[in-house]
Amino acid sequence: MAIRINTATFQSDLYRSFAFPQPKPLRSPKFAMASTIGSATTKVESTKKPFTPPREVHQQVLHSMPPQKIEIFKSMEGWAEDNILVHLKPVEKCWQAQDFLPDPASDGFMEQVEELRARAKEIPDDYFVVLVGDMITEEALPTYQTMLNTLDGVRDETGASPTSWAIWTRAWTAEENRHGDLLHQYLYLSGRVDMRQIQKTIQYLIGSGMDPRTENSPYLGFIYTSFQERATFISHGNTARHAKEHGDVKLAQMCGIIAADEKRHETAYTKIVEKLFEIDPDGTVLAFADMMRKKISMPAHLMYDGRDDNLFENFSAVAQRLGVYTAKDYADILEFLVGRWKVADLTGLSGEGRKAQDYVCGLAPRIRRLEERNSARAKESVNVPFSWIFDREVKL
Amino acid sequence: MAAVPVTCVRLTTSMQIVGKTSALKLVPMGRNKSGFPCLRTSRFQISCVAKPETVNKVCEIVKTQLALGADTVVAPDSKFASLGADSLDTVEIVMTLEEEFGISVEEENSQNITTVQEAADLIEKLVEKKNATA
Repeated sequence: MAIRINTATFQSDLYRSFAFPQPKPLRSPKFAMASTIGSATTKVESTKKPFTPPREVHQQVLHSMPPQKIEIFKSMEGWAEDNILVHLKPVEKCWQAQDFLPDPASDGFMEQVEELRARAKEIPDDYFVVLVGDMITEEALPTYQTMLNTLDGVRDETGASPTSWAIWTRAWTAEENRHGDLLHQYLYLSGRVDMRQIQKTIQYLIGSGMDPRTENSPYLGFIYTSFQERATFISHGNTARHAKEHGDVKLAQMCGIIAADEKRHETAYTKIVEKLFEIDPDGTVLAFADMMRKKISMPAHLMYDGRDDNLFENFSAVAQRLGVYTAKDYADILEFLVGRWKVADLTGLSGEGRKAQDYVCGLAPRIRRLEERNSARAKESVNVPFSWIFDREVKL
Repeated sequence: MAAVPVTCVRLTTSMQIVGKTSALKLVPMGRNKSGFPCLRTSRFQISCVAKPETVNKVCEIVKTQLALGADTVVAPDSKFASLGADSLDTVEIVMTLEEEFGISVEEENSQNITTVQEAADLIEKLVEKKNATA
Protein backbone atom coordinates (compact mmCIF):
# COMPACT_ATOMS: atom_id res chain seq x y z
CA MET A 1 0.00 0.00 0.00
CA ALA A 2 1.40 3.27 -0.96
CA ILE A 3 1.44 5.11 2.29
CA ARG A 4 3.22 8.28 1.78
CA ILE A 5 4.78 9.73 4.78
CA ASN A 6 5.30 13.34 4.64
CA THR A 7 7.88 14.70 6.59
CA ALA A 8 6.15 17.69 7.23
CA THR A 9 3.18 16.65 8.68
CA PHE A 10 4.00 12.64 7.97
CA GLN A 11 3.61 15.18 6.57
CA SER A 12 -0.97 14.62 3.86
CA ASP A 13 -1.43 13.21 7.04
CA LEU A 14 2.00 12.11 6.94
CA TYR A 15 2.74 14.43 4.19
CA ARG A 16 1.69 17.30 6.25
CA SER A 17 3.93 16.25 8.98
CA PHE A 18 7.26 17.69 8.41
CA ALA A 19 8.53 20.85 9.87
CA PHE A 20 7.72 23.91 11.82
CA PRO A 21 9.24 27.11 11.23
CA GLN A 22 11.17 25.47 8.70
CA PRO A 23 9.12 22.58 8.26
CA LYS A 24 10.06 20.65 5.49
CA PRO A 25 7.64 18.34 4.08
CA LEU A 26 6.22 16.14 6.51
CA ARG A 27 3.37 15.43 5.01
CA SER A 28 4.09 12.95 4.02
CA PRO A 29 5.07 10.61 3.63
CA LYS A 30 1.55 10.79 3.63
CA PHE A 31 1.54 9.49 7.03
CA ALA A 32 2.84 11.86 9.46
CA MET A 33 2.31 15.01 8.02
CA ALA A 34 -0.88 16.52 8.20
CA SER A 35 -3.49 14.06 8.06
CA THR A 36 -3.63 12.31 4.86
CA ILE A 37 -4.44 8.99 6.23
CA GLY A 38 -8.07 9.37 7.07
CA SER A 39 -8.07 10.61 10.61
CA ALA A 40 -10.97 10.20 12.89
CA THR A 41 -11.53 13.91 13.44
CA THR A 42 -14.46 15.77 12.06
CA LYS A 43 -13.73 17.11 8.66
CA VAL A 44 -15.04 20.50 7.72
CA GLU A 45 -17.15 20.82 4.60
CA SER A 46 -14.99 22.14 1.86
CA THR A 47 -15.68 21.78 -1.78
CA LYS A 48 -12.50 23.05 -3.28
CA LYS A 49 -12.96 25.36 -6.18
CA PRO A 50 -10.20 25.14 -8.73
CA PHE A 51 -7.39 27.69 -8.41
CA THR A 52 -8.06 28.51 -4.80
CA PRO A 53 -5.62 27.97 -1.96
CA PRO A 54 -6.24 24.94 0.26
CA ARG A 55 -7.79 25.33 3.68
CA GLU A 56 -7.53 23.34 6.88
CA VAL A 57 -9.95 20.46 6.76
CA HIS A 58 -10.35 19.63 10.41
CA GLN A 59 -12.57 21.41 12.87
CA GLN A 60 -10.49 23.78 14.99
CA VAL A 61 -10.44 23.09 18.71
CA LEU A 62 -9.73 25.88 21.19
CA HIS A 63 -8.43 26.12 24.75
CA SER A 64 -8.20 22.43 25.52
CA MET A 65 -5.80 23.01 28.42
CA PRO A 66 -7.70 23.35 31.74
CA PRO A 67 -7.40 27.03 32.80
CA GLN A 68 -5.93 26.16 36.19
CA LYS A 69 -2.80 24.94 34.42
CA ILE A 70 -2.10 28.46 33.22
CA GLU A 71 -0.68 28.98 36.72
CA ILE A 72 2.07 26.51 35.94
CA PHE A 73 3.43 28.75 33.22
CA LYS A 74 3.13 31.92 35.29
CA SER A 75 5.13 30.25 38.02
CA MET A 76 7.74 29.11 35.49
CA GLU A 77 8.63 32.61 34.36
CA GLY A 78 11.63 32.91 36.65
CA TRP A 79 12.88 29.51 35.62
CA ALA A 80 12.38 30.43 31.96
CA GLU A 81 14.42 33.60 32.35
CA ASP A 82 17.36 31.63 33.76
CA ASN A 83 17.09 28.54 31.62
CA ILE A 84 15.45 29.39 28.31
CA LEU A 85 16.39 32.98 27.50
CA VAL A 86 20.02 31.96 27.79
CA HIS A 87 19.59 30.10 24.50
CA LEU A 88 18.96 33.36 22.69
CA LYS A 89 21.96 35.01 21.12
CA PRO A 90 22.58 38.69 21.80
CA VAL A 91 21.92 40.64 18.62
CA GLU A 92 25.44 42.05 18.57
CA LYS A 93 26.77 38.51 18.35
CA CYS A 94 24.32 37.35 15.69
CA TRP A 95 25.04 36.77 12.03
CA GLN A 96 23.08 38.84 9.55
CA ALA A 97 22.08 37.80 6.04
CA GLN A 98 24.49 40.34 4.59
CA ASP A 99 27.40 38.38 6.08
CA PHE A 100 26.73 35.64 3.52
CA LEU A 101 25.83 37.67 0.45
CA PRO A 102 27.67 39.82 -2.06
CA ASP A 103 28.35 43.26 -0.61
CA PRO A 104 26.47 45.92 -2.56
CA ALA A 105 28.61 48.67 -1.07
CA SER A 106 31.82 47.18 -2.42
CA ASP A 107 33.40 47.60 -5.82
CA GLY A 108 33.57 43.84 -6.19
CA PHE A 109 29.82 43.45 -5.85
CA MET A 110 29.04 42.59 -9.47
CA GLU A 111 31.86 40.09 -9.58
CA GLN A 112 30.67 38.44 -6.38
CA VAL A 113 27.20 38.17 -7.87
CA GLU A 114 28.61 36.60 -11.03
CA GLU A 115 30.43 34.04 -8.90
CA LEU A 116 27.28 33.28 -6.95
CA ARG A 117 25.35 32.75 -10.17
CA ALA A 118 28.08 30.58 -11.67
CA ARG A 119 27.98 28.30 -8.62
CA ALA A 120 24.18 28.22 -8.70
CA LYS A 121 24.24 27.09 -12.31
CA GLU A 122 25.87 23.85 -11.22
CA ILE A 123 23.08 23.02 -8.82
CA PRO A 124 20.22 20.92 -10.19
CA ASP A 125 16.57 21.96 -10.34
CA ASP A 126 15.33 19.43 -7.83
CA TYR A 127 17.62 20.90 -5.18
CA PHE A 128 16.25 24.35 -5.93
CA VAL A 129 12.68 23.13 -5.61
CA VAL A 130 13.44 21.96 -2.10
CA LEU A 131 15.41 25.08 -1.20
CA VAL A 132 12.57 27.25 -2.45
CA GLY A 133 10.02 25.27 -0.46
CA ASP A 134 12.18 25.75 2.63
CA MET A 135 12.55 29.44 1.95
CA ILE A 136 8.80 29.89 1.51
CA THR A 137 8.27 28.11 4.80
CA GLU A 138 10.71 30.45 6.52
CA GLU A 139 9.08 33.48 4.97
CA ALA A 140 5.73 32.51 6.48
CA LEU A 141 7.17 33.52 9.86
CA PRO A 142 4.22 35.79 10.76
CA THR A 143 2.11 32.64 11.03
CA TYR A 144 4.53 31.07 13.50
CA GLN A 145 4.79 34.10 15.75
CA THR A 146 0.99 34.17 15.69
CA MET A 147 0.87 30.51 16.57
CA LEU A 148 3.10 31.01 19.60
CA ASN A 149 0.87 33.85 20.70
CA THR A 150 -2.22 31.66 20.59
CA LEU A 151 -0.85 29.63 23.50
CA ASP A 152 -2.51 30.21 26.89
CA GLY A 153 -0.25 31.23 29.73
CA VAL A 154 2.70 32.18 27.56
CA ARG A 155 1.31 34.54 24.95
CA ASP A 156 2.62 38.05 24.43
CA GLU A 157 -0.41 40.02 25.57
CA THR A 158 0.60 43.43 24.24
CA GLY A 159 3.29 42.87 21.67
CA ALA A 160 5.85 44.18 24.14
CA SER A 161 5.04 42.14 27.22
CA PRO A 162 7.94 41.84 29.70
CA THR A 163 7.28 38.21 30.65
CA SER A 164 10.07 35.73 29.92
CA TRP A 165 7.80 33.85 27.57
CA ALA A 166 7.02 36.97 25.54
CA ILE A 167 10.65 37.98 25.45
CA TRP A 168 11.50 34.54 24.15
CA THR A 169 8.82 34.62 21.47
CA ARG A 170 9.82 38.02 20.13
CA ALA A 171 13.52 37.26 20.14
CA TRP A 172 12.95 33.85 18.61
CA THR A 173 10.93 35.51 15.84
CA ALA A 174 13.67 38.05 15.30
CA GLU A 175 16.28 35.32 14.93
CA GLU A 176 14.11 33.32 12.56
CA ASN A 177 13.43 36.38 10.47
CA ARG A 178 17.00 36.33 9.23
CA HIS A 179 16.49 32.87 7.74
CA GLY A 180 13.87 33.96 5.26
CA ASP A 181 15.84 37.10 4.44
CA LEU A 182 19.01 35.17 3.70
CA LEU A 183 17.35 32.55 1.54
CA HIS A 184 15.23 35.11 -0.27
CA GLN A 185 18.18 37.25 -1.22
CA TYR A 186 20.23 34.25 -2.26
CA LEU A 187 17.47 32.92 -4.48
CA TYR A 188 16.93 36.37 -5.96
CA LEU A 189 20.57 36.72 -6.92
CA SER A 190 20.94 33.13 -8.12
CA GLY A 191 18.83 33.65 -11.23
CA ARG A 192 17.74 30.02 -11.11
CA VAL A 193 14.18 30.54 -9.91
CA ASP A 194 11.00 32.47 -10.71
CA MET A 195 10.93 35.02 -7.89
CA ARG A 196 7.49 36.29 -8.76
CA GLN A 197 5.91 32.85 -8.47
CA ILE A 198 7.77 32.27 -5.22
CA GLN A 199 6.65 35.60 -3.81
CA LYS A 200 3.08 34.82 -4.81
CA THR A 201 3.32 31.49 -3.02
CA ILE A 202 4.53 33.28 0.11
CA GLN A 203 1.62 35.70 -0.04
CA TYR A 204 -0.85 32.83 -0.37
CA LEU A 205 0.78 30.92 2.46
CA ILE A 206 0.79 33.77 4.97
CA GLY A 207 -2.83 34.38 3.97
CA SER A 208 -3.69 30.74 4.63
CA GLY A 209 -1.95 30.45 7.95
CA MET A 210 -1.85 27.06 9.58
CA ASP A 211 -3.47 25.17 12.43
CA PRO A 212 -0.96 22.87 14.08
CA ARG A 213 -3.80 21.64 16.32
CA THR A 214 -2.12 22.88 19.46
CA GLU A 215 -5.51 24.06 20.75
CA ASN A 216 -4.05 27.05 22.65
CA SER A 217 -2.26 24.59 24.92
CA PRO A 218 1.40 25.33 25.62
CA TYR A 219 1.88 21.64 26.36
CA LEU A 220 0.85 20.80 22.81
CA GLY A 221 2.50 23.94 21.46
CA PHE A 222 5.96 23.35 22.89
CA ILE A 223 5.92 19.68 21.97
CA TYR A 224 5.06 20.76 18.45
CA THR A 225 7.84 23.35 18.29
CA SER A 226 10.36 20.91 19.75
CA PHE A 227 9.57 18.51 16.94
CA GLN A 228 9.64 21.22 14.32
CA GLU A 229 12.90 22.80 15.33
CA ARG A 230 14.61 19.45 15.18
CA ALA A 231 12.99 18.78 11.80
CA THR A 232 14.26 22.05 10.39
CA PHE A 233 17.68 21.44 11.90
CA ILE A 234 17.84 18.11 10.07
CA SER A 235 16.42 19.55 6.89
CA HIS A 236 18.74 22.54 6.65
CA GLY A 237 21.63 20.33 7.62
CA ASN A 238 20.81 18.17 4.62
CA THR A 239 20.48 21.07 2.19
CA ALA A 240 23.84 22.31 3.45
CA ARG A 241 25.43 18.94 2.81
CA HIS A 242 23.93 18.71 -0.67
CA ALA A 243 25.05 22.23 -1.54
CA LYS A 244 28.57 21.22 -0.67
CA GLU A 245 28.26 18.12 -2.83
CA HIS A 246 27.19 20.35 -5.70
CA GLY A 247 30.29 22.44 -5.19
CA ASP A 248 28.72 25.51 -3.55
CA VAL A 249 30.51 25.98 -0.27
CA LYS A 250 29.00 29.42 0.34
CA LEU A 251 25.44 28.13 -0.02
CA ALA A 252 26.39 25.25 2.25
CA GLN A 253 27.50 27.79 4.86
CA MET A 254 24.21 29.65 4.57
CA CYS A 255 22.16 26.53 5.14
CA GLY A 256 24.53 25.45 7.86
CA ILE A 257 24.25 28.68 9.81
CA ILE A 258 20.47 28.47 9.65
CA ALA A 259 20.65 24.87 10.87
CA ALA A 260 22.78 26.01 13.82
CA ASP A 261 20.06 28.45 14.88
CA GLU A 262 17.46 25.72 14.67
CA LYS A 263 19.59 23.50 16.88
CA ARG A 264 19.75 26.19 19.51
CA HIS A 265 16.00 26.67 19.35
CA GLU A 266 15.44 22.93 19.58
CA THR A 267 17.51 22.89 22.76
CA ALA A 268 15.34 25.60 24.27
CA TYR A 269 11.99 24.08 23.40
CA THR A 270 12.94 20.56 24.46
CA LYS A 271 14.11 22.00 27.77
CA ILE A 272 10.70 23.56 28.36
CA VAL A 273 8.96 20.26 27.70
CA GLU A 274 11.48 18.43 29.89
CA LYS A 275 10.48 20.77 32.71
CA LEU A 276 6.82 20.10 32.02
CA PHE A 277 7.43 16.36 32.26
CA GLU A 278 8.96 17.06 35.66
CA ILE A 279 6.10 19.22 36.90
CA ASP A 280 3.19 17.35 35.33
CA PRO A 281 4.30 14.03 33.84
CA ASP A 282 0.80 12.73 33.26
CA GLY A 283 -0.45 15.85 31.50
CA THR A 284 2.67 16.10 29.40
CA VAL A 285 2.74 12.47 28.25
CA LEU A 286 -0.93 12.75 27.31
CA ALA A 287 -0.10 15.86 25.33
CA PHE A 288 2.79 14.11 23.59
CA ALA A 289 0.60 11.17 22.56
CA ASP A 290 -2.12 13.56 21.43
CA MET A 291 0.22 15.49 19.14
CA MET A 292 1.66 12.29 17.70
CA ARG A 293 -1.79 10.83 17.05
CA LYS A 294 -2.79 14.00 15.28
CA LYS A 295 0.52 13.87 13.49
CA ILE A 296 2.91 16.77 13.41
CA SER A 297 1.83 18.78 10.41
CA MET A 298 4.24 20.84 8.42
CA PRO A 299 3.88 24.54 8.69
CA ALA A 300 3.69 25.01 4.97
CA HIS A 301 1.21 22.29 4.17
CA LEU A 302 -1.26 24.85 2.83
CA MET A 303 1.19 26.26 0.33
CA TYR A 304 -0.22 27.25 -3.04
CA ASP A 305 1.22 29.01 -6.07
CA GLY A 306 -1.94 29.82 -7.96
CA ARG A 307 -1.44 26.88 -10.28
CA ASP A 308 -0.71 23.59 -8.56
CA ASP A 309 -3.36 22.09 -6.28
CA ASN A 310 -0.87 19.52 -5.06
CA LEU A 311 2.04 21.85 -4.55
CA PHE A 312 2.90 20.84 -1.00
CA GLU A 313 2.57 17.15 -1.78
CA ASN A 314 4.81 17.50 -4.81
CA PHE A 315 7.38 19.54 -2.94
CA SER A 316 7.35 17.02 -0.09
CA ALA A 317 7.88 14.18 -2.51
CA VAL A 318 10.97 15.84 -3.93
CA ALA A 319 12.31 16.53 -0.46
CA GLN A 320 11.71 12.91 0.43
CA ARG A 321 13.44 11.64 -2.72
CA LEU A 322 16.46 13.88 -2.18
CA GLY A 323 16.69 12.77 1.41
CA VAL A 324 16.36 16.33 2.70
CA TYR A 325 13.45 15.47 4.93
CA THR A 326 11.91 12.05 4.95
CA ALA A 327 9.54 9.77 6.75
CA LYS A 328 12.57 8.16 8.30
CA ASP A 329 13.55 11.55 9.70
CA TYR A 330 10.08 11.87 11.19
CA ALA A 331 10.49 8.54 12.97
CA ASP A 332 14.02 9.48 14.06
CA ILE A 333 12.88 12.77 15.54
CA LEU A 334 10.10 11.04 17.44
CA GLU A 335 12.53 8.48 18.77
CA PHE A 336 14.96 11.19 19.75
CA LEU A 337 12.31 13.09 21.69
CA VAL A 338 11.10 9.95 23.45
CA GLY A 339 14.68 9.43 24.58
CA ARG A 340 15.37 13.08 25.35
CA TRP A 341 12.37 13.33 27.62
CA LYS A 342 12.90 9.84 29.09
CA VAL A 343 9.30 8.96 28.39
CA ALA A 344 9.88 5.25 28.93
CA ASP A 345 11.05 5.90 32.50
CA LEU A 346 8.03 7.87 33.61
CA THR A 347 6.30 6.51 36.68
CA GLY A 348 3.21 7.36 38.66
CA LEU A 349 1.12 7.82 35.57
CA SER A 350 -2.63 7.42 35.40
CA GLY A 351 -4.19 4.65 33.33
CA GLU A 352 -4.61 7.01 30.40
CA GLY A 353 -1.09 8.26 30.94
CA ARG A 354 0.32 4.74 30.73
CA LYS A 355 -1.57 4.13 27.51
CA ALA A 356 -0.14 7.36 26.13
CA GLN A 357 3.33 6.34 27.25
CA ASP A 358 3.00 2.97 25.50
CA TYR A 359 1.69 4.58 22.37
CA VAL A 360 4.46 7.13 22.12
CA CYS A 361 7.22 4.67 22.96
CA GLY A 362 6.00 2.15 20.40
CA LEU A 363 5.25 4.55 17.59
CA ALA A 364 8.62 5.11 15.89
CA PRO A 365 9.16 1.43 14.99
CA ARG A 366 5.66 1.27 13.53
CA ILE A 367 6.33 4.27 11.33
CA ARG A 368 9.63 2.84 10.20
CA ARG A 369 8.03 -0.47 9.28
CA LEU A 370 5.41 1.35 7.27
CA GLU A 371 7.98 3.39 5.47
CA GLU A 372 10.10 0.34 4.70
CA ARG A 373 7.10 -1.38 3.18
CA ASN A 374 6.28 1.69 1.22
CA SER A 375 9.73 2.27 -0.18
CA ALA A 376 10.03 -1.40 -1.11
CA ARG A 377 7.16 -0.92 -3.50
CA ALA A 378 8.22 -0.07 -7.00
CA LYS A 379 6.80 3.25 -7.92
CA GLU A 380 6.64 4.66 -11.38
CA SER A 381 8.61 7.84 -11.67
CA VAL A 382 6.57 10.94 -12.28
CA ASN A 383 7.92 14.25 -13.47
CA VAL A 384 6.00 17.37 -12.55
CA PRO A 385 6.55 21.00 -13.42
CA PHE A 386 7.11 23.55 -10.68
CA SER A 387 6.17 27.16 -11.33
CA TRP A 388 8.98 28.13 -8.95
CA ILE A 389 11.46 27.06 -11.64
CA PHE A 390 9.58 28.40 -14.62
CA ASP A 391 7.59 25.18 -15.05
CA ARG A 392 10.67 23.11 -15.58
CA GLU A 393 10.03 19.54 -14.53
CA VAL A 394 11.47 17.62 -11.65
CA LYS A 395 11.09 13.97 -10.71
CA LEU A 396 8.96 13.23 -7.65
CA MET B 1 -32.28 3.40 -11.47
CA ALA B 2 -33.95 0.15 -12.38
CA ALA B 3 -35.20 -2.09 -9.67
CA VAL B 4 -33.37 -5.32 -9.17
CA PRO B 5 -35.19 -8.33 -7.81
CA VAL B 6 -34.03 -8.47 -4.28
CA THR B 7 -35.58 -11.66 -3.06
CA CYS B 8 -32.23 -13.20 -2.33
CA VAL B 9 -30.22 -10.21 -1.38
CA ARG B 10 -30.67 -8.36 1.85
CA LEU B 11 -29.60 -4.80 1.85
CA THR B 12 -28.71 -3.18 5.07
CA THR B 13 -26.93 0.04 4.63
CA SER B 14 -25.08 1.49 1.74
CA MET B 15 -25.42 1.23 -1.95
CA GLN B 16 -22.31 2.30 -3.70
CA ILE B 17 -22.57 3.82 -7.07
CA VAL B 18 -19.41 3.11 -8.91
CA GLY B 19 -19.04 6.09 -11.15
CA LYS B 20 -16.40 4.85 -13.51
CA THR B 21 -18.10 1.71 -14.64
CA SER B 22 -21.53 3.16 -14.09
CA ALA B 23 -22.64 -0.11 -12.61
CA LEU B 24 -24.73 -0.14 -9.54
CA LYS B 25 -22.94 -2.22 -7.00
CA LEU B 26 -25.06 -3.51 -4.21
CA VAL B 27 -23.02 -4.69 -1.29
CA PRO B 28 -25.05 -6.56 1.21
CA MET B 29 -23.72 -5.94 4.65
CA GLY B 30 -25.06 -7.74 7.58
CA ARG B 31 -24.38 -10.16 10.34
CA ASN B 32 -25.41 -13.10 8.26
CA LYS B 33 -22.28 -15.12 7.86
CA SER B 34 -23.65 -17.71 5.53
CA GLY B 35 -23.16 -15.56 2.47
CA PHE B 36 -25.55 -14.84 -0.31
CA PRO B 37 -25.75 -16.41 -3.69
CA CYS B 38 -24.10 -14.40 -6.40
CA LEU B 39 -26.51 -12.74 -8.75
CA ARG B 40 -25.38 -11.58 -12.12
CA THR B 41 -27.77 -9.79 -14.37
CA SER B 42 -26.97 -8.33 -17.71
CA ARG B 43 -26.85 -4.77 -16.48
CA PHE B 44 -25.97 -4.98 -12.83
CA GLN B 45 -23.15 -6.58 -11.03
CA ILE B 46 -23.71 -7.63 -7.52
CA SER B 47 -20.55 -8.56 -5.70
CA CYS B 48 -20.42 -11.80 -3.80
CA VAL B 49 -20.23 -11.70 -0.07
CA ALA B 50 -16.86 -12.89 1.11
CA LYS B 51 -16.40 -16.41 2.42
CA PRO B 52 -16.81 -16.81 6.16
CA GLU B 53 -13.20 -17.96 6.49
CA THR B 54 -12.02 -14.72 4.97
CA VAL B 55 -14.23 -12.67 7.25
CA ASN B 56 -13.00 -14.63 10.26
CA LYS B 57 -9.37 -14.15 9.30
CA VAL B 58 -9.93 -10.43 8.99
CA CYS B 59 -11.63 -10.34 12.40
CA GLU B 60 -8.65 -12.16 13.86
CA ILE B 61 -6.17 -9.73 12.37
CA VAL B 62 -8.19 -6.75 13.54
CA LYS B 63 -8.41 -8.14 17.06
CA THR B 64 -4.66 -8.64 17.19
CA GLN B 65 -3.85 -5.23 15.77
CA LEU B 66 -6.13 -3.44 18.18
CA ALA B 67 -5.23 -5.71 21.11
CA LEU B 68 -8.89 -6.43 21.78
CA GLY B 69 -9.90 -8.77 24.55
CA ALA B 70 -11.43 -12.16 23.78
CA ASP B 71 -14.77 -10.85 24.96
CA THR B 72 -14.85 -7.98 22.47
CA VAL B 73 -17.22 -8.74 19.61
CA VAL B 74 -15.87 -8.02 16.16
CA ALA B 75 -18.68 -8.34 13.68
CA PRO B 76 -18.44 -8.07 9.90
CA ASP B 77 -20.06 -4.69 9.97
CA SER B 78 -17.89 -3.44 12.84
CA LYS B 79 -16.25 -0.18 11.89
CA PHE B 80 -12.54 -0.15 12.60
CA ALA B 81 -12.82 3.35 14.00
CA SER B 82 -15.44 2.32 16.55
CA LEU B 83 -13.20 -0.55 17.64
CA GLY B 84 -10.60 2.07 18.50
CA ALA B 85 -8.48 2.03 15.38
CA ASP B 86 -6.73 5.21 14.35
CA SER B 87 -5.43 5.89 10.86
CA LEU B 88 -2.13 4.15 11.59
CA ASP B 89 -3.96 1.04 12.84
CA THR B 90 -6.05 0.91 9.68
CA VAL B 91 -2.97 1.15 7.52
CA GLU B 92 -1.27 -1.60 9.50
CA ILE B 93 -4.36 -3.79 9.31
CA VAL B 94 -4.38 -3.46 5.55
CA MET B 95 -0.63 -4.20 5.47
CA THR B 96 -1.16 -7.37 7.49
CA LEU B 97 -4.02 -8.40 5.22
CA GLU B 98 -1.75 -7.90 2.23
CA GLU B 99 0.84 -10.18 3.81
CA GLU B 100 -1.67 -12.81 4.91
CA PHE B 101 -3.47 -13.07 1.60
CA GLY B 102 -0.58 -12.29 -0.73
CA ILE B 103 -2.33 -9.35 -2.33
CA SER B 104 -1.55 -5.73 -2.98
CA VAL B 105 -3.99 -3.00 -2.07
CA GLU B 106 -3.95 0.26 -3.97
CA GLU B 107 -3.99 3.39 -1.89
CA GLU B 108 -7.34 4.54 -3.28
CA ASN B 109 -8.95 1.26 -2.32
CA SER B 110 -7.45 1.29 1.13
CA GLN B 111 -9.28 4.52 1.90
CA ASN B 112 -12.59 2.71 1.38
CA ILE B 113 -11.93 -0.03 3.89
CA THR B 114 -13.70 0.94 7.07
CA THR B 115 -15.26 -2.34 8.19
CA VAL B 116 -14.33 -6.01 8.43
CA GLN B 117 -16.79 -6.87 5.67
CA GLU B 118 -15.37 -4.28 3.29
CA ALA B 119 -11.88 -5.63 3.91
CA ALA B 120 -12.98 -9.22 3.33
CA ASP B 121 -14.82 -8.32 0.15
CA LEU B 122 -11.85 -6.45 -1.26
CA ILE B 123 -9.53 -9.33 -0.34
CA GLU B 124 -11.70 -11.83 -2.17
CA LYS B 125 -11.83 -9.61 -5.21
CA LEU B 126 -8.06 -9.17 -5.26
CA VAL B 127 -7.36 -12.87 -4.62
CA GLU B 128 -9.72 -13.79 -7.43
CA LYS B 129 -7.98 -11.34 -9.73
CA LYS B 130 -4.59 -12.67 -8.70
CA ASN B 131 -5.63 -16.25 -9.35
CA ALA B 132 -7.15 -15.30 -12.67
CA THR B 133 -3.93 -13.74 -13.93
CA ALA B 134 -1.68 -16.46 -12.44
